[in-house]
Amino acid sequence: MRLLNITNRYYIAIALVLLVVSSAFLAYRVIYVMDMEVSEHLLYEKQEIEKQLSLQPDLQGFHFVIGDKIEISPIDKFTSFKVNLTDTMIYDEYEKKEVPYRKLTYEQLIDGEGYRISIRKRLAESENLIGGVTLTLILVAIDIIACFYFLNRWFSKRVWKPFYRALNGLKHFDLHKGEKLTFQRSRIDEFNTLSTELSKLTDKVARDYQNLKEFTENMSHETQTPLAVVRSKLEVLLQSDNLKEEQVNQILSALESVKRLSKMNKSLILLTRIENEQFADEQMIDLSKLVHSHLENMEMFILSKKLNLKTSITSGVFMNINAHLGDILISNLISNAIKHGKSGGDLLIMLDHEKLVIANHGPAPVISDDQIFERFKKGDQPDSIGLGLAIVKRICDHCFCEIHYEFKNELHTFTIEFSGDKVQLREEQAANV
Amino acid sequence: MMKILIVEDEKELMESMLSFLKESGMNCEIADNLNDAIKQLEAHDFDCIVLDIGLPDGNGLKLIQELQKKDHQTGVVIVSARNSLDDRLTGLNIGADDYVTKPFYMPELVARIKSVYRRRSFQGKNEIVHNELRVVPDEMIMYVNDKLISLTKKEHELLLYLINNQNKVITKESIAEHLWGDHADMADSFDFIYSHVKNLRKKITDNGGKDYLKSVYGVGYKFALE
Repeated sequence: MRLLNITNRYYIAIALVLLVVSSAFLAYRVIYVMDMEVSEHLLYEKQEIEKQLSLQPDLQGFHFVIGDKIEISPIDKFTSFKVNLTDTMIYDEYEKKEVPYRKLTYEQLIDGEGYRISIRKRLAESENLIGGVTLTLILVAIDIIACFYFLNRWFSKRVWKPFYRALNGLKHFDLHKGEKLTFQRSRIDEFNTLSTELSKLTDKVARDYQNLKEFTENMSHETQTPLAVVRSKLEVLLQSDNLKEEQVNQILSALESVKRLSKMNKSLILLTRIENEQFADEQMIDLSKLVHSHLENMEMFILSKKLNLKTSITSGVFMNINAHLGDILISNLISNAIKHGKSGGDLLIMLDHEKLVIANHGPAPVISDDQIFERFKKGDQPDSIGLGLAIVKRICDHCFCEIHYEFKNELHTFTIEFSGDKVQLREEQAANV
Repeated sequence: MMKILIVEDEKELMESMLSFLKESGMNCEIADNLNDAIKQLEAHDFDCIVLDIGLPDGNGLKLIQELQKKDHQTGVVIVSARNSLDDRLTGLNIGADDYVTKPFYMPELVARIKSVYRRRSFQGKNEIVHNELRVVPDEMIMYVNDKLISLTKKEHELLLYLINNQNKVITKESIAEHLWGDHADMADSFDFIYSHVKNLRKKITDNGGKDYLKSVYGVGYKFALE
C-alpha cells in the first residue's frame, strides 16, 4: 500500500470519528439551547400576560397570538402561584400528526377571581432537528474529507517528491552499468540526509563491486602463470623413465586439478569481461549457421550418447551480437544439453527469429529453477565447474535477451527470447541456403 | 635442428619449457627480459620465438616489431596469460604466427612451434616423414609405403599431434583439448580418442606400416620411434 494512501486512510478515519462525536455533541447542544430558549420565552410571555391582564381585567375566553396559544379559564379555587412547565403532544389538524408543545401553566387571581392561564408553544421536532444537524454535518464532513484528501494528496506529492525520486533512482540503479547514483537536493532536511546516505551507500557498493571484479580478474589472470608452471613441471615429470604406476597416478590427478582450476579461471575471466562490457563490437551473426556448425562439431558426442536429435532451425536468423559471445552462448547451451542429456533421450533444438529453444531429456534437477544460472551451482555434477550457464545468463543479460529454464515431462528446456531489435530474419539469405 | 628462442620471465616455467623443447629435439636459447631477447635476436638467427608478452621491461610485442625490421623467416608463438580475443587479435595482427594461452600443455606448444616452423620454411608444401610414414599437414591424407590413405579430420589432427611429439607420453587430457578445445570435457571424449587411435593404428598397420601408436596405460598415448 502506498504511503499516501496509508496516511489518508488514518486521517479520514480520525476525521470520521471526530465528526460523529462532534455531531452528537452539537445535536445535544442545539436541542438543549432551543429548549432553554422556549422555556425562557414562555416565562417572558407569562409576565407579558400578567401585565396585560392587570391592565385589562375584563379579558375573558381565548386570546390568540399567532404561533402560541394562550388559554385563560376560571377556576373554582386558587391554589398556588406555582408555575408548571410541561411537555405534551397535541394533535395538529394541518399537519395531521401529533406535534410537541411546551405548556406553561399557572394560576392567577384577577380581581379576586382565580384563573388558570396556560401558554403553549410549539417545540421544534427533535427528529427534525437531529436530522437537520446530521445532514448538515454529513455535508460538511464530505466537504472536509474531500478537501482533506485532495489537499493531502497534493501536499504529499509535493513534499514527498524528492523521496519518490530517490526511490525511482534506486529502482533503476544497476551495478553492472557502473553509473553513479545522484540525488537532487530538496528543501527537506530528512530527505537530504537520506539522499546523502544513499549516495554514500551506492557509491560504496559500486566501489566494492568494482574491486571485487578487479580482484577476480587479476586473481584469475595471475593464477594462470603459476598454473602453467605446475602443469609444465608435471608434464616434464611424466616424461621421465622408470616412474612407478603409483607416481604416474599422482601426477595425473595433479594434472586433472590443474585442468579444473585453469578452466574455472578462464570462465571467471570471461564472466568478468562480459560484466565489464568488454565485448562492445557487435555485428550481425548468422545464428542458424552457428547452431549448425556447433551441432556438426559435437556430432560425435551426440551420436555416442545416442541422443535423438530433433531440430527445427529457421535459416537466415541473424543476431546483433559480439561474435565471440555468440559462439560461446550457442556452444555452452548445446554442450550443456549434450552433457546432461539422458542416453537415448531427445535433444531438441528450435530456432526462429523470436526464440531459441534447446531441450534435453534428463532426470529432475536437484537445484531449484532460479538457481540454475547461479555461479558454482552445479547440482550433482562433480565434473562440471558450474559456470557454463552463469556465462550463458550473463551473455543474455548483455544482449538484453530473456532466458528461461523449465523442467517438465522429464525435459529440461532452455528458452532464449530475443529482444525484437536484436534479431532479424534475412529472407534472401534464407532463400540461398 | 630447429633453433628456438624462449622469452619468458617466469623462471620455473622457462626451465620446464627449456627441458621439454630440448627433449623434443630443439636447440634453445633463453631470455628473461626484452633487452636480452633483442640482443639474442641480433646475435643469432632463430627458427621460432616463444614469446611471453608480459615482460618486466616492456611489452613482448615490441620484439615482434624488432623482428620485422630484420625481415626474417622467424616464426613467433605468443605465450600469454591473457586469453581474450582482442589480445589474440592484437598479437596476430602485429605479426605473431600463433597464440597459446597459459596454462598450456607442453605437447601443444611443441605442435604449434613445429607447425609454425613448417609453414614458414616450406610455405606449407611439406610432409612429415617418418620411415614408411608420410603425413601431409594441410590435407587429410597420409602415405604408408607410398600408398595414399585418407584420414578423418580428427584422425589427421590426432596423428599430427602425436607425430609432432614423437617419443613423448601425451596425456589424454592434452589430446582431448587439442582435438575439441573447449568441449574437451564432454563425456566420452577419452573413448573417442581411443577409437581414433585404434582406427589410425589399423590404417597404418593394414598397409604395412609399423605400429607406432602405443598406449601408455592410464596416461595416454605415445608415438614411439621404435
